[in-house]
Amino acid sequence: MSNEGTAEGTVATRTGASVSEQPGRQESDLERLEEMIPESALRHAPGLLPGEVKAHPDPLQYVVVAVVLVVITGLEIGVSYLEGSIPNGLIIALLLVMAFVKFFLVASWYMHLRTDQPVFRRFFVIGTIAAILLYAIVLLTLHVSF
Amino acid sequence: MTAVEERQPDLPVISDAHGNHDAHTGSTNAKLAMWLFLSSDCLFFGAFISTFLLYRDRPGQEGPTPGDLFDIPFTSVTSFILLMSSLTMVLALAAIQRGDMRRFRVWIIATVLFGVTFIGGQIFEFTEFSREGLNIDTSLFGSSFFVLTGLHGAHVTAGIIWLLSLWGLSMQEHMGQGDAERVEIAGLYWHFVDVVWIVIFTVVYLVPT
Repeated sequence: MSNEGTAEGTVATRTGASVSEQPGRQESDLERLEEMIPESALRHAPGLLPGEVKAHPDPLQYVVVAVVLVVITGLEIGVSYLEGSIPNGLIIALLLVMAFVKFFLVASWYMHLRTDQPVFRRFFVIGTIAAILLYAIVLLTLHVSF
Repeated sequence: MTAVEERQPDLPVISDAHGNHDAHTGSTNAKLAMWLFLSSDCLFFGAFISTFLLYRDRPGQEGPTPGDLFDIPFTSVTSFILLMSSLTMVLALAAIQRGDMRRFRVWIIATVLFGVTFIGGQIFEFTEFSREGLNIDTSLFGSSFFVLTGLHGAHVTAGIIWLLSLWGLSMQEHMGQGDAERVEIAGLYWHFVDVVWIVIFTVVYLVPT
């Protein structure tokens, strides 16, 4: 890779022959680059994967999340058997809330959205909201109801 | 080596003409690409779930209805299995991050086995539905159900193949602690398949018709 200059609109690289030929300049370039990179991106301690801001949970925390997921799944199944005993609207609301909690737990703990760079969270939230909007537009346009 | 070089040796740091818009995310392109793919896959499944909701209760359809077919206890067990596969997947990632390759192989093959069991359950369910008179061309409900759950099953199958390839590479000692990010990216895909099933299980199977 090459350093493509230091004028306005530069694409600077951290390595490259042209830079290494000028050690003093390379050092100052790197210092400048470190200043330009968001602080959160530089918090990369040993043991963290690229893109992580904080360390992943430990295995015990993963197991606790799994237990919570199983309990919520059990509650979901129980609620689904209440059909006829309580209004369907209430059943649907409870089921959707519990599905959302499970979705949130897997995405934040197992997919590490709570410890990774916020940009990933934004991508996923945009995709999810767009999908929900798609539901809403299609179903409302075609007058479908539960 | 500075912190910058150590973090991302092969990614350029890009700035605009004013030098104040750093496009660097602190991640690799592969991980960024996976998140973008998952974001778009949300829309993909959103379209098929919408289609299912649209067609499920259309009047005048031939063949059995969801109420006639769905076996909630059975599907609950397969859902539980898929949830457990997410746990074993993150345990595999934790193991490779520690450099414990033996446990990594155990957890990754456990994830594969859970995935295969889930797919086996889905095949069994499809076979039962077909025996009871619901096929992909029976009704709008049948078409939308088989396409939605079949596409999810195809995603799970692709994930199984991916995880098996990681397991095979580790068995040949072509993987080590430094490859943890590869496992994390495969894990992101696997967990996404799990969260999609969380939605399908609720919306398709549990929500009253």
